[in-house]
Amino acid sequence: MKIKIPVILLFCLVLLLPNFLLGQERQEISFMVQWFPQAQFAGYIVAHEKGFYNEAGIDATILFSDGTDSPLQEVLDNRIEFCTGWLSQAIMIRSGNEPILNICQLLQKSSLMLVAKKESGIKTAQDFEDKIVSNWGGDFSIQPIAFFQKQNIQPDVIPQSFRIDGFLVGAIDVTSAMYYNEYHKILQAGIDEDELVTFFFTDYDLNFPEDGIYCREETLQNDPKMCKNFIDATINGWAYAFQNKEETLDLVMKYCREYHMQTNRSHQRWMLGAIETAMTYQVGDDPENWGILKKEDYYTVAEELLNQKLITTIPSYQDFYKDVAHE
Amino acid sequence: MNEGKVKVKRPLARKLLLWIGLPLLLVYIIVILFTYFWSGDNALKQMKEYLFELTSHHACMLDGKFLKVSGASIGIADAIDKFSIPTKNELYSLMKKKLSENRNIYGMATAFDPFAYNNKIKLFSPYVHRTDKEIQEFDLAESYDYTLQDWFMIPKLLRTSYWGEPYFDEGGGNILMATYSQPMYKDGNFIGVSTADISLDDLELEMSNIRIMAGYTFIITRTGTFIYHPIKEYMMNEGIFSLAEEDEQPELRAIGKKMIAGEQGITTFRDVNTGEKSWLVYSPIPECHWSFAAVIPEKEIMKTVNSMVLRQVSIMVIGLLIIMLVILWASFGITKPIKRLLGFADKISKGDLDEKITGISGHDEIHELVKAFNKMTYDLKHYIADLTVATKEKESVESELRIARQIQESLLPRIFPPFPDAEEFDLYARNIPAKEVAGDFFDFFMLDDENIAVIIADVSGKGISAGLFMAVTRTLMKTVCVKDIPPAEAMKKANIVLCQDNDACMFTTLFLAIYNIKTGKMKWTNAGHDEPIIISEDGSYRILKTFKDIALGIDETCEYHEGEAQLEVGEVMVLYTDGVIEATSPEKELYGEERFIKILSKNADKTLVEILDVVTEDLDGFQKDNQFDDITILLLKREK
Repeated sequence: MKIKIPVILLFCLVLLLPNFLLGQERQEISFMVQWFPQAQFAGYIVAHEKGFYNEAGIDATILFSDGTDSPLQEVLDNRIEFCTGWLSQAIMIRSGNEPILNICQLLQKSSLMLVAKKESGIKTAQDFEDKIVSNWGGDFSIQPIAFFQKQNIQPDVIPQSFRIDGFLVGAIDVTSAMYYNEYHKILQAGIDEDELVTFFFTDYDLNFPEDGIYCREETLQNDPKMCKNFIDATINGWAYAFQNKEETLDLVMKYCREYHMQTNRSHQRWMLGAIETAMTYQVGDDPENWGILKKEDYYTVAEELLNQKLITTIPSYQDFYKDVAHE
Repeated sequence: MNEGKVKVKRPLARKLLLWIGLPLLLVYIIVILFTYFWSGDNALKQMKEYLFELTSHHACMLDGKFLKVSGASIGIADAIDKFSIPTKNELYSLMKKKLSENRNIYGMATAFDPFAYNNKIKLFSPYVHRTDKEIQEFDLAESYDYTLQDWFMIPKLLRTSYWGEPYFDEGGGNILMATYSQPMYKDGNFIGVSTADISLDDLELEMSNIRIMAGYTFIITRTGTFIYHPIKEYMMNEGIFSLAEEDEQPELRAIGKKMIAGEQGITTFRDVNTGEKSWLVYSPIPECHWSFAAVIPEKEIMKTVNSMVLRQVSIMVIGLLIIMLVILWASFGITKPIKRLLGFADKISKGDLDEKITGISGHDEIHELVKAFNKMTYDLKHYIADLTVATKEKESVESELRIARQIQESLLPRIFPPFPDAEEFDLYARNIPAKEVAGDFFDFFMLDDENIAVIIADVSGKGISAGLFMAVTRTLMKTVCVKDIPPAEAMKKANIVLCQDNDACMFTTLFLAIYNIKTGKMKWTNAGHDEPIIISEDGSYRILKTFKDIALGIDETCEYHEGEAQLEVGEVMVLYTDGVIEATSPEKELYGEERFIKILSKNADKTLVEILDVVTEDLDGFQKDNQFDDITILLLKREK
């Protein structure tokens, strides 16, 4: 039988196609999150571990900050491509004319809160007077300061460590806490929710959206497709994480153990749930709607920063935020 | 000796078992059941107490250790408060000294509040800690801002000592540690904290040596975090509340709250690791507000409890078996010689008296019985030998008695009518002897042609002696009754002879009449005999009234009276012995004089033989085979 040449060529093409596709090099990027591995970063871990980044043609390296280095600064210094960061901090940087861009605002709701024990006699913020209140510094102090101003109180504020022991033993009356983290740690120290008084800043018109994804302007300009792929893969990672929580927790715990984090699975489960709440706040469960930075939120934060003289001008929303996910 | 097998329907061993073993068994079963159920509860209670005590003990030991650790810190704080603030070198050497004195302390710091040590130095915290080789020293301020550390800030805020949560002291001791902090004051002002660290590795090593049954132990801090747990992964990561949450056990959370509140307790819960129901015994370590706990799987506890109960029950069952064996052994001990005795008795019953039971020792009743048995056979043997002799003797005596009776009978006149030719009178007598030789006798003999002596007598007693006395009396009477002698004199003579040498005190009643066959007159004398009855042909009768003198052989000096009587033609004088009127029926009725006279009167017209026959027949019918005494009747009739 005589085989026709075009057929042979077609066959060769079919054989070569996968090689061609596999041979396409993935783009290496580095991505830093603000803290050590925990469920707060579950979506990124999942996207990485489940190969979503790879599928998007990205060879992502996730870096975990130890608190001493600032991921946003790392991005600005061009050492890494992407990072997560709080909106407030990013606005402050942008306000300094730094080319930082928010390309995806994931957490819609602030998890920062103040917690007191009922036994301390605190019922309202007015009761903070003459009490010892502890706050973290930096971004974490903006909302409390705004809150105290709004409440017209001037409590005795002391610096807060990353541990809640001072609060647990009663040395501190009011402590700052992330709802997904410290608040649950208080519960896991044997204090019941009904023994606590909570002050969520979101309830006081101080909803500062927290984790968003940032990059330099040139990164987006140079490779918008890669940026889009990265954001899509990340959102897919989060969607998968919320749909497959136990599997996600397995991955998170693996990372936690590798980084010798003092944590446990039930705490990470709580955190994952709380992050889901923060991520779906006002935008719903559909991942299609995730990643939006609402203008009012942006201005809420920016105006408070201005109010606290942390910035002198409010950067333009359009300059600051690029909705990569929905482009 | 072979006693032969004796089959017993209800052996003693079985009886003993039944009467002692069975009630004992019942009591035992009740006690065992009671023990099982009661001691189960009791053992459980004991186990709880035991675990409670043990846990408290370990908690106390740990508390003591931590107290020594905190004591070192307090010492330094006190020294600084009381004396001037030491120099840097003094502080290092002071802390090193404390460290070398107390092996439980890993490191110590004296951390000053900013500018408190020196107004030119902001932070100063000399720190000493152990390494593998030596004690190292450095200033913590070079590593980090310690004022933000909980171990510094919390005691400062609380103004009281504080045992901190475990942490990894990066830049300090570089190990997992827990720190005790004692606030330091100078003139009432806070100037810093004095700390002492314990190494969690040391604690882990120490804890791993504590064994409580087949369970494990753990320590939680005041926040419920595992500071020690056999599952290494749990340490610092998990706490009792996180496990309660992970395992969805709100009860465990409630237990945890009690534990961190410094309570002591014992409870059950589902072990998160094994899923097994387990006991949780917890006790506080007050010094650092930690809680020590032991977890023991319930099945292990029940195993121990059951083995405790089983041990008790086993001891009781063994005890019961031993008692049963003792009963059996004792019963065999008793029945074995008894069986031998039975066999022995069997042999005795067959006449074998030559055997003797040997080999049964002891000083109990059985031994006494054996002795009695042996004595009995010995006695029996001799008794039988004696009896054989006695029987032979008796047989010979009896044969002699038989002969004696024959002789005695032969002594009595046997031929009737004795005087067939005599027309003037007729005489008949009959002696019905009892079984034994008795002493009745009668006699008659002519003294001359006209006078005939008629005698009837009854010797006291029975047997040979009576027979012999009768023979003597009879012969004597024949001798003394000579022609023309007054009967009283003859009687007197006979009495004197009989009284002489009468050592046996034999005596005899005797009636003697000397009857004139021609005239019908008679002279009589009576030595205590029954008075004769005189019957006419028409049936009328009279009793011959006599002097009833004393019987012969009693009183040598006795004078006998004499009387006379006239027997009319046709009249019959009836002489008899007391065997007639004292004849007794089987119903114990006496024959009596009245019945005797009645039958005599009724048959008075008959011949003497006929009268005797009728009377004999009547007596036989009356007493049947009941004759105890000789019956003797003598009839003398005047024909013309």
